Amino acid sequence: MRIPGYLVFCGGALAALGAGWAGFPHVIYETRPQPVDFSHKVHAEKAGAKCEDCHSFRDDGTFAGVPALDKCSGCHAAPMGTTQAEKNFIDGYVTPNREPQWLVYARQPENVYFSHITHVKLGGLKCEACHGDEGATDKLRPYQQDRISGYSRDIWGTKAAKGMKMDDCVDCHRQHGLEHSCLDCHK
Amino acid sequence: MFTPAPWRLITDTALWSENWPGIPRPARGEIKTRYTNCALCPAGCAVRARLVGEQPVALMGVPAHPLSFGALCPFGLTGHQLPYHPERLKQGPAHEAAEAVANAIAQCGPNERIAVLDLRPGRTASWTYRRAMAAVKNGVYLTAPPPLGGASVNLSAARTVLSIGVPVLEGWGTPGNVLAARAGFRLIQAEPFESRTAALADLWLRIKPGSGRALALGLTALLEGKAGPLTPAQAAAETGLSENQITDLARDLAHNGPALVLAGDDLPEAVPLNRLTGAWGESLIARAEAPVPESWKKAAPPTGFASVPDGSIRALIIDESVPGDYIPWNVIAPKLVPDNPVVVAIAWSRNGYGRHAQFTLPAAVYPEMTGDAPAAIDSPAAAFRIFTPLVPATAGMVDPAGFIASAAGMNASAALRERADAIHKAGRGTLFTYADAKSTPVKELKPEDFWKALNQGGCWMDAPGKPAAPVKYDEAAWQGKPPAPQEASDLPLVVALTGMPGAAGLVSPLMSKLYQESNLRLGRNRAALNPASAAACGVGEGSRAVLQTLLGRRPIQVTLSASTPPGVVEVEASPDILDICGAFSRARVAQS
Amino acid sequence: MIAANRNNKAKRYGMTIDVDRCTGCGACMVACAVENNVPPAHEGATERKGITWIRVFKVDNGEDYPGKRTVFVPVLCQQCGEDTPCVHVCPQQAVEVDPATGIVGQMPERCLGCRYCMAACPYHARYFNWWDPQWPAGMEKTLNPDVAPRMRGVVEKCNFCHGRWHAAKQRAAAAGKQEIEAGSYVPACVEACPAEAIHFGDLSDPAADVARRAKDPASFRLLEKLHTEPKIYYSSQRDWVRRIGDPPKPPMGEENLRG
Repeated sequence: MRIPGYLVFCGGALAALGAGWAGFPHVIYETRPQPVDFSHKVHAEKAGAKCEDCHSFRDDGTFAGVPALDKCSGCHAAPMGTTQAEKNFIDGYVTPNREPQWLVYARQPENVYFSHITHVKLGGLKCEACHGDEGATDKLRPYQQDRISGYSRDIWGTKAAKGMKMDDCVDCHRQHGLEHSCLDCHK
Repeated sequence: MFTPAPWRLITDTALWSENWPGIPRPARGEIKTRYTNCALCPAGCAVRARLVGEQPVALMGVPAHPLSFGALCPFGLTGHQLPYHPERLKQGPAHEAAEAVANAIAQCGPNERIAVLDLRPGRTASWTYRRAMAAVKNGVYLTAPPPLGGASVNLSAARTVLSIGVPVLEGWGTPGNVLAARAGFRLIQAEPFESRTAALADLWLRIKPGSGRALALGLTALLEGKAGPLTPAQAAAETGLSENQITDLARDLAHNGPALVLAGDDLPEAVPLNRLTGAWGESLIARAEAPVPESWKKAAPPTGFASVPDGSIRALIIDESVPGDYIPWNVIAPKLVPDNPVVVAIAWSRNGYGRHAQFTLPAAVYPEMTGDAPAAIDSPAAAFRIFTPLVPATAGMVDPAGFIASAAGMNASAALRERADAIHKAGRGTLFTYADAKSTPVKELKPEDFWKALNQGGCWMDAPGKPAAPVKYDEAAWQGKPPAPQEASDLPLVVALTGMPGAAGLVSPLMSKLYQESNLRLGRNRAALNPASAAACGVGEGSRAVLQTLLGRRPIQVTLSASTPPGVVEVEASPDILDICGAFSRARVAQS
Repeated sequence: MIAANRNNKAKRYGMTIDVDRCTGCGACMVACAVENNVPPAHEGATERKGITWIRVFKVDNGEDYPGKRTVFVPVLCQQCGEDTPCVHVCPQQAVEVDPATGIVGQMPERCLGCRYCMAACPYHARYFNWWDPQWPAGMEKTLNPDVAPRMRGVVEKCNFCHGRWHAAKQRAAAAGKQEIEAGSYVPACVEACPAEAIHFGDLSDPAADVARRAKDPASFRLLEKLHTEPKIYYSSQRDWVRRIGDPPKPPMGEENLRG
């Protein structure tokens, strides 16, 4: 039985669309595991930590970003709980004094200048406004890295957090009438 | 087409190309500040380093410093890049060299010598060498002759300065200090060629090459008012100036004082001339050194190559680990024994004495090195400042003081601490700390705190006043025979040396901004010729040519420069060039 | 894309350079390269193809000894305020004048490398990356994290050390302030000059040092007749030096402006 041409066309179109929308992300993105199976929720609830306890600002206003090993070793020199993840962490990183190579979801290109303290102190923004409610998550999101450009998929925005691309920043700046010059955010 | 696929591929490829592996990414980290002193020249300016994590990324001055005023020269500003210089020495035969030196000491005959050549005297390491040479039989400690008889200059006390060929505004003294005092004196530059100092001076006297001595003698005769070796008329003829110009100059020095005459180490006549102008005690003072421990006083005295008989040095160890004045090899070579002399050079690169030495050992580069700087030539008071390493030293570096001390059977590893303690014990002077810009009298500090402050960025300065007795200047030991005048027949050009003294050290690759990416300075192995002279030599812009003098030849590349006078070839004073020509040598340039 | 800044008063950052004090040492040139991650010269680089965001020129009065007089003039992007030529011609809008600071900001990440701006700039203050930047092995550790390195094929120029402006604003934000402290933002060349020949500040602030010096009768600007309104004021007590700011009368025996 000859299949009518339009059916072939529709089938092909659907296949191509399926490949593009559903299949392509798997091709272009590589999922990489974070070095440690870290739970924000446990630290926020049990340890009573707030965002800025670990993701702190220094005196000159620079942002320390993801904490270095000595922040974790301060408490986790010995196991504090019973999870395997913590044991792995202590064995793999604390004991040999090795810095975990965290994969940063919001890593921007080199030519971008972003000042956390300006947004937090002068802009009055809470961490959740751009990063989503990370503190309530029990597991770190999977880090999906674009194989060609090297950036994280999260910069397009997730259900929880806003996008981290220039358009997303400009949207918010436009709303607040704070658009001035390119070099305010580029370096 | 209606899926993200092709669009993502395009944008991602574009993004990848912006960040492809060829472009380095700066490291991120906490910004820290550390203080040290610069080791690149005797000025020893105070340095504030900006570090990212533990890596220095920028160097700047310390504005409150009373002598450097926060100024750093281009070499000092790029010092943090020196450890990564491609020509830096990373290894050398330390054991073989030590063995060879030990053998030479053991076999040293009664008329032979073991010598240390120190290119930057006055440091604590210099004292170690002097003590080592006193401990070794037949040891002798050699340096370049001290300019102005070893005196120091107080520029702010001078109203007129006559500089006979001294590059006052180009790396002489402490740049910050010279420029801060500049408005207070009238600068007269007597020099055959237009250096930067001559171009910027209040008056430039174009004297004939090599006639600085005649000028000094002519002025001496006028100021003394009695006949000397040269009459003013003879001085005018030799210098090419008019007699009126010399008389006006003498009047200037006599009436617009306090007047100061600056000259290089090859013009001892400047010393008596400064006594006549009244500079002694005012703008030229004999300055004591920072105190040293009593036990060190048994040390070999500094002396020059002229005092060493020909063919007598069995072993020569050269400390080239801090840039200093290069003594041409043709001065040194005749002094070595003819049969298998041992020559060890401890240097940053092979470009200096490494070209002649048997053993070239790698030394730690600024800012990896430790050490200290005595006061600069334009510091009215004695000073002591330590180089604090900003980065850990590369493995395999040889410490010259350690090498020479162990050759003499001594241990000098605590020399810096002993010196600091001796200074503290003497109780004089103040400590200026860079982090808080405070001055504290030494008497109010404990020895440990003094030592700690010096290592965290500080500078000890002696109390002003109480000048020391003038140093006895032994001309015979330093000067030896004057060089024979050169024949002019087939060497039509005169050499003008430019460039930073002590260019045997490395300069950061970023200095290409000054010589390759602009024509502010002359680059290495480049010679500048006037277009007319170049045409006469048969070379053009960029030609590969040969510079020939009585002593040898070197390959050079020609640059045409209208500001170079005809009949002159300007070259950078690198050790390579200094080995074949001194100031004002005759030369020829030909196509290679 | 230009909205009025409702928080701070607009500034006009400018410089005054006393060329009588400049000794031609080149400290400004290397400090600029260190601060802005400008790489050392590629092998093929000459004074026309090199990258020197600030460059010191040696200029003389044309006479011979003994009448010869020399001056050293540092030339950098003049931060033209009026009818900025490079902004006008850029097809990519990769340059713009920041209304809040008056700084002409070049964004290498937008540039496509047509070099039209290099032709338009009357001061030859723009430089093209003919090659990818190359640092000797290990020297890339000394890069400044506040400035992004550029790839080949884009034009770059002085931005008045924008990385330092960012750092000053960040320090002010840490203290809860909108305005930066006076004197907390100086470009690298200003800080490095051993002769203190270069001064920097807000030209529109009557209390600022630069504003006073700019109004001094000994001040002049380069190529004033082109009406680009540069924000770099040079000053000299010597008449012949003040005249070097005039365009050269064509045709001369030799071209004396390169680039």
